[in-house]
Amino acid sequence: MKTKNITQTIVLWMIGIIFLLPIYWLFVSSLKSDSEITRFPPTFWPETIVWSNYPEIWELLKFQVSFTNSFLVTVPTVILTVLFSSMAGYAFSKKRFLGKNTLFVLLIATMTVPPTVLLLPLYFIITKLGMFDSLIGLIVPFSVTVFAIFFTKQYIDDIPNEMLEAAKVDGSSDFHTFFTIVMPLLRPALTALIIIDTVQNWNSFTMPLVLLQSEDKFTIPLKLALMAQDTVAIPWSKILAANVLSLLPVLILFLSLQKQFVAGLMAGSVKG
Amino acid sequence: MRSIKRHLGDINAYLFILPSFVILGMFLVYPVIWSVAASFKDIQPITLRQAGLFEIPGHFVGFDHYAAALNNRLFIKAVINTLYFGVIFIPITMLGSIVLAMLVNKKLPGVNMVRSVFFVPYIISVVSASLIFIFLFNGEKGLVNALLSQIGISGPHWLTSTLWAMPVIAIMTCWRNIGYFMLIYLSGLQNIPKDLYEVADVEGATALQKFKYVTWPLLGRISLVVIILLMINSLNVFQEVYIMTGGGPGDSTITVPFLIFNRAFKYYEIGPAAAMSYLLFIVVVIVTIIQKKIVNNRLG
Repeated sequence: MKTKNITQTIVLWMIGIIFLLPIYWLFVSSLKSDSEITRFPPTFWPETIVWSNYPEIWELLKFQVSFTNSFLVTVPTVILTVLFSSMAGYAFSKKRFLGKNTLFVLLIATMTVPPTVLLLPLYFIITKLGMFDSLIGLIVPFSVTVFAIFFTKQYIDDIPNEMLEAAKVDGSSDFHTFFTIVMPLLRPALTALIIIDTVQNWNSFTMPLVLLQSEDKFTIPLKLALMAQDTVAIPWSKILAANVLSLLPVLILFLSLQKQFVAGLMAGSVKG
Repeated sequence: MRSIKRHLGDINAYLFILPSFVILGMFLVYPVIWSVAASFKDIQPITLRQAGLFEIPGHFVGFDHYAAALNNRLFIKAVINTLYFGVIFIPITMLGSIVLAMLVNKKLPGVNMVRSVFFVPYIISVVSASLIFIFLFNGEKGLVNALLSQIGISGPHWLTSTLWAMPVIAIMTCWRNIGYFMLIYLSGLQNIPKDLYEVADVEGATALQKFKYVTWPLLGRISLVVIILLMINSLNVFQEVYIMTGGGPGDSTITVPFLIFNRAFKYYEIGPAAAMSYLLFIVVVIVTIIQKKIVNNRLG
């Protein structure tokens, strides 16, 4: 039994190392000099650590513009998603209205729509609404998700009706009840939702690719992808340094709020 | 008056639902309708530019675009490529996530840290992951070929080989997704009653028998869900291809979504692109319905 556990531990750690290898390689290579990065066989640790790759690529790509754009898109989208979706989740969970069941079935049905189907019509509709090549076009259309409605509804279902009725008897209006009783009770669920939605919007590539045209509007993933395709001038060590910079925000968010993140994903996937 | 009010339900409910109703209606339901209408029409990009928001110009061509898609050599090629991707991606991810979930479910030293390690690739964007893998699998100076040459194998030029480009994309997608599916299996494992294993121990069952008669059957429902999710993932591979290979070499990594994207945004063939995207949609719906049927039959 003891030896079996040791073998299993070794296997587990080995697989862990294999999983970590690409990320290790990314960090290490981002610190190599331009000449060392092209050497074969590659060095497993940089001979001289070149920190200057980071400020250089930051300047070269005007990365602060892309970072600002990514923040300007992600933060409002996430705030609106949390607000609008939990409002809808509340209505579906605790309210009675015409066509509620039909709408709910329709909502479930939309989960099967492949993103590719939406690409072309979204481009057309967003352009017609005058939001092409603007950050607003990446915020408003994506400020409600079906996943978020289901997710918040599940948690609101657990809030006892008596509690909401008691508030009503005390003269609390519907909106007052929603913001002072329901929202605070949802805190753990909303934390998870915020993290999931932040990662999703931060990493989003296809819609920005279709909807943005001018370079000063580009978000991080778009900037990164187009820079790498235009391989004329930039050495790989710098491309990878830019890559590290782009994933630091989500990595920090994940590592600091891991528990809520994982709990949220589980609740969303297994029940659904 | 009162009966109308009762029929309508709570007036405030409409206010709560309003933002979601407008946004999902405009940016999810309408696009689905727009696509189906466009797939039956011959739309010129110029007329589209002049059209109003709720107007889909062009004359009706019936099922022409669908027939053309099914007879299109490149579309068939894309379907085959997508299958090739799935054949590599689905079994590896499924097997990998079950094995990792079983390992992580044990109280081995350092298990929590390793669990996070498995999950990190999932939060990395496809763009970042693609760039990392382009670099790792570089034919001349990549780490993978360096490691292979250590054991005397000279590795191919992965991403410029018609045989190997797709497997590299699939492996990257496995790397990104295994951690997520591991978590799904982990929650399944934790729902299996412990006494079942105790009974098996008393009966003297081997580890393999325990897996075959206890673990695997009780993970059945989850496995079905996982297979469906993996199939749907396989049908949506776009970003990876766009960044890593651009569909090449020799069309060997063109997937269905990539082809649709090219048709729509490179050649402005709106009707054909919409028809192809609907064919994809139909496949996803069929897969989902079959899954629902199987789950219901099995679990009554």
